[in-house]
Amino acid sequence: MSEIIDVRRMTKTYSSSAKVVNDVSFSVDEGEIFSLLGPNGAGKTTTIRMLTTLTSITEGEAFVGGHDVRKEPGLVRENIGVLPQEVTLDNELRGVENLLLAAKLHHMPNTMAKERAKELLQLVELEESGNKRVATYSGGMKRRLQLITALIHQPTILFLDEPTVGLDIQTRTKIWDYIKQLNADQGLSIFMTTHYLEEADQLSDIVSIMDHGTIKVSGSPRDLKESLHGDILTLAVEDGGEDLTEFLRSIPNVTEVTRTDDSYRLKLPRVESALPTIIAGIASKDLKIRETSFSKPTLDQVFLEVTGRSMRDAQEGNGHSSGSAYGRGTR
Amino acid sequence: MIAESLALGKRALTKWGRNPFAILVTSIQALFWLALFGNSFNPANAFSSSSGGSLGPLQGAFGGAATYITYLTPGVISIIALTGMSFMGVDLVFDRLNGYLDVLRAFPIPRTSIYFGGVVQNVVKGMVAAPITFLIALAVPDGLRLGEGVGVMNLVGIFATVALLTVVFSMFFTGIAIAVKSTDSFFAAVNFLTFPFMFTSTAFFPLSFFPSWLKPVAQANPISLASDAMRLLVVNGTFSPSQVSAFIGDWVGLLIFGLVFTLLGTAMARSALRAR
Repeated sequence: MSEIIDVRRMTKTYSSSAKVVNDVSFSVDEGEIFSLLGPNGAGKTTTIRMLTTLTSITEGEAFVGGHDVRKEPGLVRENIGVLPQEVTLDNELRGVENLLLAAKLHHMPNTMAKERAKELLQLVELEESGNKRVATYSGGMKRRLQLITALIHQPTILFLDEPTVGLDIQTRTKIWDYIKQLNADQGLSIFMTTHYLEEADQLSDIVSIMDHGTIKVSGSPRDLKESLHGDILTLAVEDGGEDLTEFLRSIPNVTEVTRTDDSYRLKLPRVESALPTIIAGIASKDLKIRETSFSKPTLDQVFLEVTGRSMRDAQEGNGHSSGSAYGRGTR
Repeated sequence: MIAESLALGKRALTKWGRNPFAILVTSIQALFWLALFGNSFNPANAFSSSSGGSLGPLQGAFGGAATYITYLTPGVISIIALTGMSFMGVDLVFDRLNGYLDVLRAFPIPRTSIYFGGVVQNVVKGMVAAPITFLIALAVPDGLRLGEGVGVMNLVGIFATVALLTVVFSMFFTGIAIAVKSTDSFFAAVNFLTFPFMFTSTAFFPLSFFPSWLKPVAQANPISLASDAMRLLVVNGTFSPSQVSAFIGDWVGLLIFGLVFTLLGTAMARSALRAR
């Protein structure tokens, strides 16, 4: 697959301040969902603003859709759709009017724009509300409308800055479904920033963890979690049985076994693949399993591993202020 | 750039058209100006013999206007263009604060079309006020009395002059609206600039009433240029050669202001909208 975004040693420095984004390099393949995960203030929004031509790049290079962001900003803008962090629709216009204005500014012919608007309103189940003023929409409806406004011109790359921030869980899940659908059905390449671990985990092909303006680690969510050397499986067997430590250590891929009374704690890359062997082995020794539990490593643990602090601590450390570089609110 | 500017202008005008309060205020604003200032500033009040609002011996000093409201109407039209153009830019300030300006900056459009879109909507809104003011001035007691022979071409000339003035001020104040970062800065700038334009002009009183040191400022003020040009058209059905030169002079002055303010406004907008 070819690279749709290519960032080389990109840095952003504002006058009289430290480097907000510092020597960042990464690439996004065509058709991929790429997430920049990090706490507020990590430099995610500045990165997305540079890639969408809204903020200048101090040093380094970036190519979006094959176009140099610094030298060909107009061509970059033709190829991208942008969903800012805050809701930025015109409240006084109707839903469909917001869409048609966006289409006009993308130089789409009227007939095509109207058809596309209808199709997109159906996609996000807003066809009934398209002719109502945006001021009457709920927060979730506004977010859905904003998502399709970014898609009106059929961009090849969609930039989503914290797409579900401030939304309830139902709306968030709905937005995730749309994002997955757009990626799967239309092969849309998606670049997303988020500080929600679950969002990055569920949606992304590749996650880059960003903190203090630098990318700490990149990889698929599974690879990143597996880099922590796997899942933790805890087994409790009935009293009086033999010591299973050696047996459990002999199971392929089990990297660590510790025993506490009748409980065993195993570390292994993927519990699912080894669990049948473990259960069958214990059963063959005429022992009964009293309790099992397992935990998979999370991206928070990955964040902890690479930054030395958890995402929650990082958020609190940054005051948890989600000040948008795009401003706030609706018009 | 024209299509994008018109699309953005249409966005604002659609919203304005759905706001009857804004239209109502625009309409009655002229009534206040003419009814209140037309009476309180009226020099004819000084003459007990004055009847029907006639300016009497002052008629010559007031450019031949039969009544004070005849003199004042072009001034009020110009002042409403000034205040309208200066405050209408606030939409763009809110667009910046709400992040909408950044959304527009991410579209594949010339960024100056955001500026010209603002100009388009302001000019259209401003032009709505001019005929309303004119009609109110005709309707109020002791109001606007058109000179002998004043016809359709004069009316066309009046509205062309006010259109040019709205463009002049819109170019300037739209640039300021895009450049400032907050509503406080915007209103401070507008208040700072509006009053000198208003009170150093011949909108209310003729040039002969000004102290000599202020006369050059008043003469070159775009409000004076537009008001004086419109007054010639209101009072005279035909122009004498000196009136033709005066009228051309006023228009050339306005065109120069238009050019300068366009360059200034575009530069402010370009600077404010470029990626930093």
